Amino acid sequence: MPEPVVLRGRPVVRGRAEGPALVADATLSFWGEVDPVSGRVIGRGHPLEGNSLAGRVLVIRSTRGSSATPMVLNLAKLEGTAPAAFINVEVDSLAVLGAIVNRIPMITDLERNPFECIRTGDYVVVDAEAGLIEIRPATP
Amino acid sequence: MELTAGQQAILEGARGPYLAGCMRWLVEWGEVMGARRLIRCDNTHVLLPAPNLVARGASPRTLEAFCEGLKQACRHPVAPHCVATVHTLFVTLDEIEAPENDPAQVRVQREIAELAARAGYLPTFTCAPYLVGNVPLKGEICAWTESSAVVYANSILGARTTRHGNESAIAASLLGLAPEFGVLLEENRRGDLRVRVSAELRHPTDWGALGYFTGGRAGLGIPVFEGVRRPSQEEAKQLCAALATSGGVTMCHIAGVTPEAPSLEAAFDRRPPAECVEFTPQGLRDTYASLRDARGDEIDAVILGCPHASLREIAQAARRLEGRRVAEGVRLWINAARATRCAAEAMGAAQVIQAAGGRILCDTCPTNMRIPCRRLVTDGFKQAHYARAMTGAEVIVADTESCLRAALAGRWQGDA
Repeated sequence: MPEPVVLRGRPVVRGRAEGPALVADATLSFWGEVDPVSGRVIGRGHPLEGNSLAGRVLVIRSTRGSSATPMVLNLAKLEGTAPAAFINVEVDSLAVLGAIVNRIPMITDLERNPFECIRTGDYVVVDAEAGLIEIRPATP
Repeated sequence: MELTAGQQAILEGARGPYLAGCMRWLVEWGEVMGARRLIRCDNTHVLLPAPNLVARGASPRTLEAFCEGLKQACRHPVAPHCVATVHTLFVTLDEIEAPENDPAQVRVQREIAELAARAGYLPTFTCAPYLVGNVPLKGEICAWTESSAVVYANSILGARTTRHGNESAIAASLLGLAPEFGVLLEENRRGDLRVRVSAELRHPTDWGALGYFTGGRAGLGIPVFEGVRRPSQEEAKQLCAALATSGGVTMCHIAGVTPEAPSLEAAFDRRPPAECVEFTPQGLRDTYASLRDARGDEIDAVILGCPHASLREIAQAARRLEGRRVAEGVRLWINAARATRCAAEAMGAAQVIQAAGGRILCDTCPTNMRIPCRRLVTDGFKQAHYARAMTGAEVIVADTESCLRAALAGRWQGDA
């Protein structure tokens, strides 16, 4: 069993959450690319197409596009399909607003490239109070 | 963030719990984004849509909770010094018997709209407020939703707005305040990506292609275009919409054209970077090809007016359609603000379009309504991009003339 890895980052939206990671070195638009009811990525050709965001720690470059991002996150939160936490490389102001309104922790500026050290399925504990994440690698 | 005594009091509940919550959104958001204060905001464009159609299958509790949030907002007056226009809805408030225009949702939306009007919101229901009278001046501090309109306001008009979501725009409209960060500050309005345009831009859709190409490369940055003429209002609209579709762009400059870019140097506020992206004739063709996935020629929908059509676009379409008939089985929809349609009715253009079998759809757009279609032709890159994802349609993006030809023939006939 591989050892858990602890990494430091910068808290953007405070809070604590954990869940299995969903990772793509890509941007994602919540408007048009995410169905808030099923929680799935519906963007055709998107690297995460078909995956559910519900309860996942979403590791992406940033969100993109629409000002409806917070609205879709709000609907997803009400439906129970919102991501548990965000780990982003770039901070998109609309994702931040959605995370604040819906109380979803967000962390950025990890000391290592998240796309190299977190894989989809790893269990990730996000502590956006202390600015730490713990990665518990999935057993291969 | 430093708050004034008055702002602090609102945060602590002096004007009730809802406005305290609004203040919390603006303060927390501003703090994360590096704002040091809240500044006066005189112009907002807010989202107040009953969301049923984007959340098809959601539990009644979810929909009710969401709509109750909007109603609660509308029970507070818009700040007296603030213009507040309203974004598109997910239904049309027309009396139409379309199964997609869910009557229950129309009812809820009407309730919200009535409360909103009483609160002081102007019922524009459009994604292009700058076409129906909300035209902020250079330097005016705004809080706008609708990413395409945000790019237009910042770039073409020289107004200042970050990209807002529904909660922040509502908060800004009720409090008359916005957190000062990003492009609200002079130093954050300079370009960081140089785009040399060597392709000829013939019509608004070509400008959309330039935006779609650039947005994917600019990410959250500020592109500066060089080598292009002054765009028409419709061309600028397509450029801005496409930039905000493939990227998270907040503004752009057109060297020698837009208000804050009298020259290439001024757009960068320093020596322009040597490295630049080039938009070539091949790049133009490739960009169209990236949003043409139709596997056949037969079409069932032609959608114009994304972002909402200008009066001129409607008049031009009417001239092209006069005395002709849209092919059986094809929906030709031109999306527009209600105010624009009223003007088109007054000049007779709306009647011509209707007589030809077309429809001017108000308050919303077919993608917002999730109207299903198999194969869609459109002159908007934004429309093509989202329709593909949201309705699963095969799409063809082309200039307006090719779209109208396809509508009349009932099949895609290639570029005009």
